Amino acid sequence: MSAVIEIEGLRKTFHSMRSGRRVAVDGFDLLVEEGQVHGFLGPNGSGKTTTLRALLGLVRADSGRMTVLGEPSPELLTRVAGQVGAIVESPQFFGNFTGYRTLRLLARAGGVPVSRVDEVLELVGLHDRGDDRVRGYSLGMKQRLAVASALLKDPRLLILDEPANGLDPAGIREMRDLMRSLAASGVTVLVSSHILGEIQLICDHVTIISRGRRVATGRVDEVLAGHDRHEFLVRVAEPERAVELLHAAELTAVVDGGALVVGGVSDPTVVSRVLGEQGLWVGELTPLRPDLESVFLELTGAYEHPSVPRQVDDSSLPQGETVIDLDRGVDA
Amino acid sequence: MNLVRAELERLSARRFVQLMVVLLVLAFAVTAATTMAGSHKPTAGELNSARAQAAEARRDLEATHQECLNRQNGTLPADTDKYFPSDCSEVDPIRQERLPIPADFLPGVFTFAEQARPLLYFLIAFLVLFGFLVGASYIGADLTSGGVVNLLLWRPRRMTVLAAKLGTLLGTVLVLALLASVAYLATFWVIGQTAGLPGRLDGEFWRSLGAVHGRGLVLVLLSSALGFAIATLGRHTSAALGALAAYAVVWELGGRLVLEIVDAPKSDLFMVSSHIGAWLNGGARFYDEQLCRGSIDGPYCEGFYTVTWAPALLVLLAITGGLTAAAFAMFRRRDLI
Ligand SMILES: Nc1ncnc2c1ncn2[C@@H]1O[C@H](COP(=O)(O)OP(=O)(O)OP(=O)(O)O)[C@@H](O)[C@H]1O
Ligand SMILES: [Mg+2]
Repeated sequence: MSAVIEIEGLRKTFHSMRSGRRVAVDGFDLLVEEGQVHGFLGPNGSGKTTTLRALLGLVRADSGRMTVLGEPSPELLTRVAGQVGAIVESPQFFGNFTGYRTLRLLARAGGVPVSRVDEVLELVGLHDRGDDRVRGYSLGMKQRLAVASALLKDPRLLILDEPANGLDPAGIREMRDLMRSLAASGVTVLVSSHILGEIQLICDHVTIISRGRRVATGRVDEVLAGHDRHEFLVRVAEPERAVELLHAAELTAVVDGGALVVGGVSDPTVVSRVLGEQGLWVGELTPLRPDLESVFLELTGAYEHPSVPRQVDDSSLPQGETVIDLDRGVDA
Repeated sequence: MNLVRAELERLSARRFVQLMVVLLVLAFAVTAATTMAGSHKPTAGELNSARAQAAEARRDLEATHQECLNRQNGTLPADTDKYFPSDCSEVDPIRQERLPIPADFLPGVFTFAEQARPLLYFLIAFLVLFGFLVGASYIGADLTSGGVVNLLLWRPRRMTVLAAKLGTLLGTVLVLALLASVAYLATFWVIGQTAGLPGRLDGEFWRSLGAVHGRGLVLVLLSSALGFAIATLGRHTSAALGALAAYAVVWELGGRLVLEIVDAPKSDLFMVSSHIGAWLNGGARFYDEQLCRGSIDGPYCEGFYTVTWAPALLVLLAITGGLTAAAFAMFRRRDLI
């Protein structure tokens, strides 16, 4: 499988008079291969948008190597620009134009047949509102228009930065169906989103970024499996006695509400055997599989102190790095 | 080519551009209407009396000159209270820039040959401002609204995109300025023919009017490019407006004062406005009393120096070209957020 997007060691520092230097992306790597639907996750301010901007030549990277469809970016991006559809953060459109005219203009500028405009408007569900001014569009409608603009070129690679921003539940589902059908037709998709359930549903691969660095990457199921603690939810009549029995069998077990959470289980039949032998019949035995959300929160350290409002720059760095954070004290 | 077409559509759809065009048409209509209302075709009697008055005025000049000469030669006593210059050539009718003509004695009659030049100056001033504001707001609004970013996602060639924008702007402004000035002059020509006097419309007249027109159009293009360049450098329409206002106040007013205080020689050379005037009129004379200081020529030192159109154009081109080049260089490397 060939690499569609390759990023190696991308660094980008913003300099501003007010806040001085701010490292937005700090040695980030990303590999997206042909045919993938690749989720790009990270907390607010972790550098997703900056990465995409650098990839598309909108900001100048300090260092790092990037290629898009095999061409070094941004130097030779023009060679493949016709095959890359992208939206970076909710794009702004000229409010005076109708949706149709906006797309027609882009189509002309990019040498795409104007007949394609109607097709993409239909595709994103804006066909009946194409003749309204963009100024009068709702947030979700503007977002749909943005996606339409990315689809206009009939791209081989689609880069979507938070496409679901502002979409209603039906819109989110339509977006999901759209991405699936695009993927089925062979389009490679890189999509960033904060709706993790959505990413889990549509993406086969995922890369997680935190504070400008990659903290996880790979197939979604593998990333999830890597964080599987082999826990099971167990319901029995006498939870306290069950805990003692399970501890004796060298399993971890805690009472959580009316049920038990049993950890370190490599084979669930062990649980029912240990309890059943002592006359405690298991009423429910459910594996507690990690979902993307819990893995994300664990990796990015974004949910450590539920009672303290978390600040955007508080996310974790990749494991293996010694982080001394004076603000957080010793428990960090 | 497609890019230019798309840009053309964007430019013409800008509210601000539309507003400025409406303003132009409005100013045009108002001047034409008031001129028309305040002018009438002179009767034969009026014309005759005007001719007579003009002839008399010319005779008066002649007489004054003669009297001055006589006084200098001593053929006349020098004790009348009438004033005469020490150099009689100053009142020599032949050396006057213009002599009284009948049109001067026809109140309420619009004479095209006399008025065309000032009218054209007014139009050029408007178009220069128009070009500057449109140039600045066109790129400024696009930079702040993210339109440029959208376009660059489509065509990731920054230089091409910016050049297409500048080219479209200059082309549009030029066509608009040409159309406006031709329509403008034609209207007033018709007014002169029907409700006033055409005046002396000889080849010399048209040549000089054409020259002002051509130089004015160049000025309009330069100011458009300047507005575009400053707004690009400052990422904002208001950058261009601010720079213009700051330049006018700080340099043209404040700087001029300072230069006067420190007695800098030929201080007018440091003012862009001098060069604009020199270019538009084909040359300009400026006064500097220092030129006469220490000169033994005495009364014959006039203290004037001239700026011709060529160096003036060079200065204007250098400023505009420099800023435009800087804008392109900066746009090439800048982070577009
Ligand atoms: N133009 C800029 N000037 C200064 N700092 C910037 C600029 N753009 C981004 N940053 C900083 O870079 C960091 C990464 O921002 P970025 O927009 O890439 O985050 P993100 O992952 O897209 O976040 P979100 O999920 O909120 O969209 C942030 O700390 C941000 O403050
Ligand atoms: Mg973002």
